[in-house]
Amino acid sequence: MDQTAAGQAGAASIHLDGVSKTYDGRVLAVDDVTLHVNPGEFFSLLGPSGCGKTTTLRMIAGFETVDRGRIHVGGQDITDMPVHKREMGMVFQSYALFPHRTVTENVAFGLRMRGLARAEIAERVRAALELVALTGFEDRRPGQLSGGQQQRVALARAIVIRPRVLLCDEPLGALDRKLRQQMQFELKQLQKELGLTLVFVTHDQDEALAMSDRIAVMNAGRIDQIGTPGEIYERPQTRFVADFIGEINLFDGEAHEGGFHLDGGRQLPAPVSSGRRRRVLAVRPEKVMFVEEGGSVFSGQIESVNFLGGYTLYRVVATGRRPILVKETNLSERRARAPGELVHLSWNPQDVVLFDH
Amino acid sequence: MSASARRRPDPVRIAYLAVNGAIVFFLIAPILIVGVFAVNPTPYISFPPTGFSLRWFEKFFTSPDFMNSLWLSLRVAVAVLVLSVLIGAMCALALVRGNLPGSRFLTAFFMSPLMLPAILTGLALFQLYLLSGVGRPVWGLVMGHTLVAVPYVLRTTLAVLHNFDRRVEEAAAILGASPIRVFFEVTLPLIRPGVIAGGIFAFIVSFDQFPISLFLVLPNSETLPVVLFNYMKFDLDGAIAAASMVSIVMALSVVIILEKLIGLKAYVKL
Repeated sequence: MDQTAAGQAGAASIHLDGVSKTYDGRVLAVDDVTLHVNPGEFFSLLGPSGCGKTTTLRMIAGFETVDRGRIHVGGQDITDMPVHKREMGMVFQSYALFPHRTVTENVAFGLRMRGLARAEIAERVRAALELVALTGFEDRRPGQLSGGQQQRVALARAIVIRPRVLLCDEPLGALDRKLRQQMQFELKQLQKELGLTLVFVTHDQDEALAMSDRIAVMNAGRIDQIGTPGEIYERPQTRFVADFIGEINLFDGEAHEGGFHLDGGRQLPAPVSSGRRRRVLAVRPEKVMFVEEGGSVFSGQIESVNFLGGYTLYRVVATGRRPILVKETNLSERRARAPGELVHLSWNPQDVVLFDH
Repeated sequence: MSASARRRPDPVRIAYLAVNGAIVFFLIAPILIVGVFAVNPTPYISFPPTGFSLRWFEKFFTSPDFMNSLWLSLRVAVAVLVLSVLIGAMCALALVRGNLPGSRFLTAFFMSPLMLPAILTGLALFQLYLLSGVGRPVWGLVMGHTLVAVPYVLRTTLAVLHNFDRRVEEAAAILGASPIRVFFEVTLPLIRPGVIAGGIFAFIVSFDQFPISLFLVLPNSETLPVVLFNYMKFDLDGAIAAASMVSIVMALSVVIILEKLIGLKAYVKL
């Protein structure tokens, strides 16, 4: 890898301290967000639309003013710095390429703004295009490129300036599934190779889980949880996070020294808690097992069977409850279960998560 | 049954072709007729033509009256083009980007010269100039034309701006372009097709302008449409037709030159 070609001018850390943003002075779009992104980290802001993730990113970029709180990048307070002095790269969902310029001119733009010599610009543009595998497309205009190619131009344009941080606003949202997975892989690869600090905004949990070093899950302007993909998935700390990431079965009840009591009196397998407290028990569908009648927690009828390739998703109706989701890996020796079949379910106490309402 | 239906010509399609044919005919026929008169040597306008001659073109191009007025019209039209492009484009930017209170009302206000009959605008300006004692200078004429030309530029520029993806400007900014550079490197090139289309309208509106000019020209420096009108009052010969042909060619040239020079084709994906 040609180090001079792209990147590594020094990836910077990002610190947001109590950052808030209101629209019309009333609606809190971003509410007291504090987060730290380490240099060279792939950090995702994940949440449903309207949760404030894009606004947070746009405040880091400087497109939105910050109402309260401070933002530091590489130890420097940039809260009030104009956009064009921030030395950041950004990739937009709509690509936002300059339609009136060629691929080369698009990628060269940031270097030209920095007043670099022609020869250096040419060399760095060449290297950046090579990096994103677009050699040979130099003289095309954006309109003549496919979505994936446009995305690569956008990426090359952002990294060629050797940004302190790279910001990505749902950059793969407009691509079809197959291309999207390929670009996820390529972006991750590139980020690692160049050691970029990358903040990635997405509403796609699979994308965030697959790519991120850490994820901040946002809900209604606030951060619900920050953690590695494994932590977010296996140890959700709020009902929202549990519900938003993947599928999960939730049970309301009371946690105590003996385990967990479902409302209505039934005892569920769960780790012991100290003191009595109303809590939510959450268990992932793949942690729920089909067992023999004796050791079961729930018994019920299979309501529906969804064959999903590598695994099968069952909905089991136990009396007086929401259907329980069970995910079973499709192994060759297993027989498929049929709708209407009576089954018995259980799980291991260590596989559940408890959290407050 | 179905076979006969297939053979029978579709009445909708016939009507469609007829309407289109009529539109093309009414667009082209007057120009063709003027063209025929322009090369017909008879000293009065007559049909069918009796021959072919360029004598009316010769008369037009050798007449100092016609030439002076043509030159004046061209100068005025170019000045109007430049002014209305500047004013119209800036107005449009302010209306779309400026967060102005009552921008809908302001838009309607700037478009209002189109609603007013031009002859009233001319009369009003004439009185205004007289009362304020400026007389009837050429710049007064330019201002009158600009007044009715600006809405065209405004309208076409607004159309482009409404479809403008501001993310493109943000991309330029974060790549290190200051607000002024963003404007010249990104905004201006992208709204250019709309501005230029408006500019062409402005040129033609001025070059063909009659009612406003009628009030604002001085007897010895009149624009071409006014001279033609006065000429027609006494002579109705082929020189009028020749002048019209020259007018048409001039307007057409402006469109083609601007197209070739700056490019009207919107490469912008809107």
